[in-house]
Amino acid sequence: MSEETLLYIALFSPIVSSLFAALFGTVPKRVFVGVVTSGLIGLSFLSSLALFIHLQSGSGVVHVQMFDWIMAGDFSVPFGFLVDEVTVTMMLVVSLVSTAVHIYSIGYMEHDKGFNRFFSYLSAFVFSMMFLVMSDNFLGLFIGWEGVGLCSWLLIGFWYHKHSAGWAANEAFIMNRIADLGMLLGIFLIYWTYGSVQYDVVFSAVSEADGEILTWIAIFLFIGAMGKSAQFPLHTWLADAMEGPTPVSALIHAATMVTAGVYLVIRANELFALTPEVGLFIASLGAFVAMFAATMALVNRDIKRIIAYSTLSQLGYMFVAAGLGAYWIALFHLVTHAFFKALLFLGAGNVMHAMNDELNIMKMGGMRKVMGWTAILMLLASLALAGIYPFAGFFSKDKILEVAFDGHYYILWATLWITAGLTAFYSFRVVMLVFFGKERYKDFGFHPHEAHDYMIWAMVPLAVLAVIAGFFEHQFVAFVSNVLPVYEFSEHTHHMVGQLILVTSAIAITGIAIAVFSNMFREGVFSSAFRNTILFKLFDNQYYIPKIYEEVITKPYMELSKVFWEKVDMKIVDASVDGIANILRSTGENTRGMQSGNLSYMLRWMAGGMMLILLFAIVYTYSDVLLNILQGVAK
Amino acid sequence: MLEAVNISFESLNMATLTPMLVAIVGALAILTIDLFKEEMDKTLYIVLTILFLVADLSTVLGQTMGERGFFDVMLIDGLAILAQIVLLIGSIIFIPLAFSSQRFHEYRYPEFFALFLFMTAGFQFMVATDNLILIFVGLETASLALYTLIVLHNKDKSFEAAIKYFTMGALAAGFFAFSGMIFYGLTGSVELFKIFEVLEARNFEPMILILTASVFMLASFGFKMAIVPFHTWGPDVYEGSSAALAGYISIVPKVAAFVVIMRIFEGLIASGIVWIEYIFYAIVVLTMTLANIWALVQKDVKRMLAYSSISHAGFVMAAIMIGTTQANSAIFVYWILFSFTNLGAFAMLWVSHKKDSNYHERFDHPFEKFSGMVKMSPLSAVLMGLFMLTLAGIPPFSIFWGKLYLVSSAVNAGYLVLAVIMVLNSAIAAYYYAKLIVYMFMKEPETGVDGSVYMMNASISLKVMLGIAAFFTALSIFIVNPVLELSDFFIYSSGF
Repeated sequence: MSEETLLYIALFSPIVSSLFAALFGTVPKRVFVGVVTSGLIGLSFLSSLALFIHLQSGSGVVHVQMFDWIMAGDFSVPFGFLVDEVTVTMMLVVSLVSTAVHIYSIGYMEHDKGFNRFFSYLSAFVFSMMFLVMSDNFLGLFIGWEGVGLCSWLLIGFWYHKHSAGWAANEAFIMNRIADLGMLLGIFLIYWTYGSVQYDVVFSAVSEADGEILTWIAIFLFIGAMGKSAQFPLHTWLADAMEGPTPVSALIHAATMVTAGVYLVIRANELFALTPEVGLFIASLGAFVAMFAATMALVNRDIKRIIAYSTLSQLGYMFVAAGLGAYWIALFHLVTHAFFKALLFLGAGNVMHAMNDELNIMKMGGMRKVMGWTAILMLLASLALAGIYPFAGFFSKDKILEVAFDGHYYILWATLWITAGLTAFYSFRVVMLVFFGKERYKDFGFHPHEAHDYMIWAMVPLAVLAVIAGFFEHQFVAFVSNVLPVYEFSEHTHHMVGQLILVTSAIAITGIAIAVFSNMFREGVFSSAFRNTILFKLFDNQYYIPKIYEEVITKPYMELSKVFWEKVDMKIVDASVDGIANILRSTGENTRGMQSGNLSYMLRWMAGGMMLILLFAIVYTYSDVLLNILQGVAK
Repeated sequence: MLEAVNISFESLNMATLTPMLVAIVGALAILTIDLFKEEMDKTLYIVLTILFLVADLSTVLGQTMGERGFFDVMLIDGLAILAQIVLLIGSIIFIPLAFSSQRFHEYRYPEFFALFLFMTAGFQFMVATDNLILIFVGLETASLALYTLIVLHNKDKSFEAAIKYFTMGALAAGFFAFSGMIFYGLTGSVELFKIFEVLEARNFEPMILILTASVFMLASFGFKMAIVPFHTWGPDVYEGSSAALAGYISIVPKVAAFVVIMRIFEGLIASGIVWIEYIFYAIVVLTMTLANIWALVQKDVKRMLAYSSISHAGFVMAAIMIGTTQANSAIFVYWILFSFTNLGAFAMLWVSHKKDSNYHERFDHPFEKFSGMVKMSPLSAVLMGLFMLTLAGIPPFSIFWGKLYLVSSAVNAGYLVLAVIMVLNSAIAAYYYAKLIVYMFMKEPETGVDGSVYMMNASISLKVMLGIAAFFTALSIFIVNPVLELSDFFIYSSGF
């Protein structure tokens, strides 16, 4: 099969899948909808795999031009797709995790009324995401970008009858809109500067532009990335997005969509490489978010929110790498993170399912006895997340720390180092509270049970990759180095690597140890002394940021809107519009004879109108004569 | 003894005439079939009509540009071909609406379909000639057939509408004849290209006569296009006709009239008679604005659509005033996109039409009929919403592109104020289209309504037509470019 066909299969089988499921959108659950859609997404994965093998064999980038999409004057956007090493990596991750999540969802959503609808949305998301990563220009990327935003909105609000779900969906959508405006401005600026939005054209000419403009482009694009990847201060939507079904959280809000921001920075690396100051800002913000989110995860009691905060934190790590120019490391962490984080979420889904959608980890405990496989899988994922050798997270996360160290950004390094400890602590706090210790769920009358076999099996490939992916580091570098610059470590760092790994592993293991012991001795309950500290309150209330947004933005805006509504709209706008409408209405009343169809009246209108125009014609033609006459009269 | 007139068949160049002949033969065939065997099912006639129209279309596509024929009366230039394509596609997508699930009076008569084909031929004659007499003949053939088609709906309202339309049409025909007379008197010819030649030679003097002739002509075709102040028939006729036919009236006859106006007035405007440009400016602005304002206060969706069609007519007339190739080609894109959307909107009304009873004592489609439609019939509500958004010109749906190209051609030609007025009017229009959406999506259904009325009249083929209309409307982003190229090609090659 030609590469072009493979590309089209990989791209379009998800949309076929979505449309297929949509056909059954309004009818009750049909299991085959889940099976067929999973199969089609699997097909997309296989095509991606074939493309990967094609690229691996060194046969070169696949670039197809479908047709000229927008041709308005000088503005031309050919509608094309590009599969290079970075794209195919993303495609593999997206389609693999999607396939797992699709299969998993057959079990997870089995009692849901919107079963068919769910698969339609989920597949539509996969299509948008594939579109996003495969486009060969910024505009196509933007379309995919909006598409994933839309699907995310649909899926967060999937249980729209719940008020909180609807609210969270809107919050995510609106926050992303704000950021997308930045992104759009960036794209406009790119077009304005380079006269094209094609990646190849823009990147080959990237250094021709003025430094200041480049900085602005980088800033605007990064604002877009901040929204999608939920970076501070636009991060609040991600935790609330956990209102959606858990497979959605696994796919969209952990493994794929939220990493789109990182992908954008990686894709536009030529551009960001020329703006080191923006890069440094990205890295600093990333490190800040990494720690900031980790602290919030420390004290939370909601299993999904904890994982969501850890996602935020890991995204921060990726941005540190990307910001410091280590693009392949950012991509590497993106890949490994996708595996273990999706696994973690799906495990959490099993737990929730077993507990009738209970999220509070304080009500769980000792569940390894009833759901052994889930416990093992989640343990593996947590080890990977904590960065313990030889799990995948160890390799990628460690590389990021090395990069920070290598660039002499010791503050960033220290932040990330502490965060690594925090990460280990909170992820094992979850594992301990859920699977070990006293079986508290019995007090609350729950009867947990293990998930379906095929749900476990769907998780296994992710688990295997979460364990072994790290060992492919060198092959990975060799593979993506065709597109991405290889980050060269200095001699100095090279010698220090051993110590760095040791120090990092030490703090991670310490974090785990604290989590394990604290669970043993006090069942994971924080001491009352700690509970009363300001720090705890800050963490527990998410640094009061939702409240600040509420007080500083929402409420004043509400007040302002109210003023505008009552004073401006009602008294001025409405009054004048009503006035016009009333005039119209009275005109209507007065001319009712004409409209209700008195024929002779209508004929008179027609003839009269004609005569009027004729009169104008006469006046126009004889204007000089008429003027003369008028002047004569005046005299 | 008179000498026998000897005309060689080749000199007639019958190829120029074939398309119309196909339609006429089709009409005669239908009548003949009825003569031999009465009471045939309407399906036969519908399918025959479609077949003849398709044959007609294919002969049009086979025509070569720049030909004259039949004593040089026929003129086949790019404009004629393009206009015929639009006319025929409009007709072809209209006829399947006759496959309604309820039985309607008019479709029982084979004459309906014969008249329809005659009418199509009439419109084709109008656009494929520059001879004033043939234009007149085509116009009257088509109009008389159309009046009858309206009456065949067989309701009090339709009689009223047809009588009104007929009477006013007669006046308009008188205007046309008068105008033609003046032109003939001035130039001694009824052929437009010769008229312009002579007028130019005599330096457009006497001006008053030329202007008088133009005014009569404008009134005559202004009536067909339903532009202010000659629009008064519009809403009544739309209301009196079946929704399907109303959708047709809002497009096809207007396209034909539009082409004639284009042939006559672009020459006049381009030859530097400033006054005609002024009067067009005034009429365009008045038509767009007033019709929009009237549409705001309508209580019936069909009347609202009628006024909105008037406003759209004002929009397209702007192209004639602008007169650049870009504007002319944009306007055909506009027509094509508009025809799919408007057809869809009227077809939605058509499927919700209940035979023999009005929904409401005064109106058949009051806004209240669509209250809470989304709760009872979500798919139809979404479709209707799509057509409304499109008519309002919301990107990326079809009419947005038409508007975009037209407004940008206005800007390119230096008509900045006009462009602003066009955009403002689009904003006003969005309001009344959104009103229907508000009714459908945000209001509670009226009590005691079960929503069965929305798909009352739907049949498989009607649903297919709706699907086609929705498809082209929603995915126009992909077809707008080929359509523009096609339109560019024909318009450019015929020198407009």
